[in-house]
Amino acid sequence: MGERMYGFNGVSPSAGKPGRKRYAMVIDLRRCTGCNACTASCKTAYDVPLGASRIWLMEAETGEFPNTKRNVLPRLCNQCDHPSCVRNCPTKATFRHPDGYVLQRYNRCIGCRTCMVACPYNARHFLPEYRRDPRNPRNVADKCDFCIVRVTRGLAPICVTSCTGGAIIFGDINDPESEVSQIFHANKTFTLRPEMGNAPQVFYIGLNEKIADPEFAFHHRSKQLQKRYNTFKRNSEVGGEMAGNIIDTDMGLMGLIRQGLNNFRTFFRDAPHKIFRGLF
Amino acid sequence: MEGQIIANAFHHAYWGFPIATYFWLVGASAGSFVISTLGWVFGIKKYKSTAFFASNMAIALLLIVPIILIIDLGKPYRFFHLLMLPSFSHWSAPMMWGSMFILSYPIGMMFYSYFVYKKNEKWARILGILAVVLALCTHWYTGVVIQLNPSRVPNHASVAPILFLTGAYVSGIGLLNICLWIRNRFVGPDSQVSAGLIADMARLMLYGVVFDLFLLWNEFLHMTYGFGEEYTMLYDVLLGAFRWPYFYLEIVWGLLFPLIILMIPKINRQLPWVLLASFMCATGVYGMRIWWVMANFYYQGHF
Repeated sequence: MGERMYGFNGVSPSAGKPGRKRYAMVIDLRRCTGCNACTASCKTAYDVPLGASRIWLMEAETGEFPNTKRNVLPRLCNQCDHPSCVRNCPTKATFRHPDGYVLQRYNRCIGCRTCMVACPYNARHFLPEYRRDPRNPRNVADKCDFCIVRVTRGLAPICVTSCTGGAIIFGDINDPESEVSQIFHANKTFTLRPEMGNAPQVFYIGLNEKIADPEFAFHHRSKQLQKRYNTFKRNSEVGGEMAGNIIDTDMGLMGLIRQGLNNFRTFFRDAPHKIFRGLF
Repeated sequence: MEGQIIANAFHHAYWGFPIATYFWLVGASAGSFVISTLGWVFGIKKYKSTAFFASNMAIALLLIVPIILIIDLGKPYRFFHLLMLPSFSHWSAPMMWGSMFILSYPIGMMFYSYFVYKKNEKWARILGILAVVLALCTHWYTGVVIQLNPSRVPNHASVAPILFLTGAYVSGIGLLNICLWIRNRFVGPDSQVSAGLIADMARLMLYGVVFDLFLLWNEFLHMTYGFGEEYTMLYDVLLGAFRWPYFYLEIVWGLLFPLIILMIPKINRQLPWVLLASFMCATGVYGMRIWWVMANFYYQGHF
């Protein structure tokens, strides 16, 4: 069978191919303490705006006292071998590097958000109009890039260096001598949502369904937390200045109408700003 | 989940109401253009009188589309990146195909309209065939853009583009009926479209409504055999957060009520009832576009 080509940028997947590099990550959840050092350092290093993260933590407390457990799951772009974001990008703004990174070219991106729709891991986010540093890209999609600027200079990604428990291991998985390859082969690893067919390259040791299954993670929370989660999610306008909320907190007809009006209001409010700002 | 709240990392894919409106406009345009070609391309003579108006309406609806799409982009001035062949455009992306269709479809329609105006049978027929294929492709691609996302639960089904096309057909005829009725009030008696013809078009719409319900039934049957996310989706569109756009607006208002009206022999040829059914269909399909865009992008957020 021929090789599956996702996107015609002339680069084929490199996982398991001798003579080629494939940067991958193994996250040992047994060692992760959920300290959020990776989140904080990444946010600081890349000026990731409010309401978005390149790496973030999902947490779940399971069990009854005294037999309770806190499950933590660091989440980031899985740098897939068959990335659906690359396939769906209409302008080749996102592409696969020969060494396995999935990267974003800000100067090509038109901001259509197709990649965000396509990504099964919610790993992509949108950069808002207002950035802390105005020289940084605005109104384009962004993602974790495995810290390519650090790795090409011989440094480990910033989440790896800042990990207090030593839970994140990064390296070339095709190189049998590398630490990541040895740990990967010595342990049973899991990936998130393998059924999506994206061949993700972030592997987890000790992943369980209580945190990895989105339905389980949602339905086994308390009603109060579910409600708060939905409220937060529905009212989260951060980064979504063009389209407004996903849904109003009122799920009735009036909520729908209000949400539609609000959506169009933000759309028309931002339109002249975007157009004239784009000229200069 | 708690961590997501703390980090506020919901990462919405926020295609909102403007994109739903765009889907609806493209659909209504394609649907009314199909009616326009019935007379000149498919040889059903009684529809010839509606062809010019229907085609112009399709062009007018389609002229709004690029404005919405371009303004909705994060970088509106970079829309030309879609047209820069071959270095920028990415052929595996359905949005790329769509930008080609959206460019060529109105041009085809304009030429068709011109030859219909000139009553040139031969060229109206040739360009009508071309433009009707482009019309179907333009709306088919919107279904495909939504369909080719493996993680978006109800979208990722092979009926998605057909469901989109059926909705387009229904909403196009519904909107055309209303516009023809409004037009009748402003033109002389010679150019008016008869109430009988509007009722005939409503009969065509009825076939679309039945087929739409059949496709929806199939899609939801398929979802009952799915994973957990499908069940949550099924619950929420029928009873939960998305019951208004989907269940009430699309199913009840947009499909079931018109189906009942158009099936009752005594009233299915009376103009007020036909117009009411047309209005219900045209607005009901908008509900489908809303939930189709937003509900799906909401679900993955649980992850």
